Amino acid sequence: MKKPDRDNLRALFERFMSPAEAESAAEDVQAGDEMLRAHPAPEPDHEMMLGIKLQMAARLSGRHRTVHHLYRLAAGVAAVVVLSLIAFHSRAPQSNPGLSHAALIPTLIWESDDISADDIKLAYFTSEIRQIEAQVQALEAGESQDAGVGTLDEVEMELAQINTAFWKE
Amino acid sequence: MGEGVELTRIIAGCKSGDADSFAQLLDAYARRCYGYFYRLTGDRDLSEELLSVLFMKLVEKVGSYQGGSFESWLFRIAANIFHDHLRARKRRKKLLDAQRTELGSVPTGLPKSDGKDEKLDRLQMQLGRLDTDTRELIMLRFYSNLSFKEIAELRSEPIGTTLSKLHRGLKKLRGFMES
Repeated sequence: MKKPDRDNLRALFERFMSPAEAESAAEDVQAGDEMLRAHPAPEPDHEMMLGIKLQMAARLSGRHRTVHHLYRLAAGVAAVVVLSLIAFHSRAPQSNPGLSHAALIPTLIWESDDISADDIKLAYFTSEIRQIEAQVQALEAGESQDAGVGTLDEVEMELAQINTAFWKE
Repeated sequence: MGEGVELTRIIAGCKSGDADSFAQLLDAYARRCYGYFYRLTGDRDLSEELLSVLFMKLVEKVGSYQGGSFESWLFRIAANIFHDHLRARKRRKKLLDAQRTELGSVPTGLPKSDGKDEKLDRLQMQLGRLDTDTRELIMLRFYSNLSFKEIAELRSEPIGTTLSKLHRGLKKLRGFMES
């Protein structure tokens, strides 16, 4: 089995032992190889080989079928994705009303990920607006102690300032 | 065995899933792989089973062969299959021993070598006196046609260790055969 000249045994052994020892070791290995060659192992019989070939063919055929099914499945998934994209794009213009609501919210708040900070700002602006609304209502109803055109103008200006500050945020 | 271009052509065919190419690969290597398994197990049926497992593995794994020595790649898989078999046998033996201890029974007359009444040749009987690692090394070198460098790499050990173990093993085996 082993090609006798595959390794230069003696040179190989000489890397690890004296030349005399290397020569003896190389001879031992060659004699061992001869002994193994003189006692060949049994060989696989024809039926066994045929059986293995059939098993391999069956496995390959099964694998081919699996790959074919996977391709079909992938094609199906791709078709669903394409149809979904077409449906999404064809409906996109109808969803514009939703965008107009989003446009009412300041861009920074809309895009911000800091929910807690944004909530505080919103709560602050909301309470300010409510307070001013209450003042305006009180003035209109004549309940305010400092009723007068000047006061009403002041409150309206304050409301305008808060509104501007809100959109700046 | 078909070397060079012929082997490259067969492997390319195997990679494309061609059953005929796998059949050619089996024709080319079955004798050596079967001999390798037989000399390690001493059991023809078991060797047939391991050979079948090896070629089924090739069907699954041939795509991962990236060039280099095909024989080294093939016999690495064969060696792994043999080790898997040894581990499984050890597990079965432990289980049987545990059951026997639990039942407190006397030996059940289990056969010594995988349950088969093999008529072993003289070499096979003497090989059985060597430890598994040495036997495996001797058979790997004899059947795989690999160089010492490739065998040492496959076994993840220095080439000097491989040489020394093989030399001692073969000398011992010759001693057994001559006694």
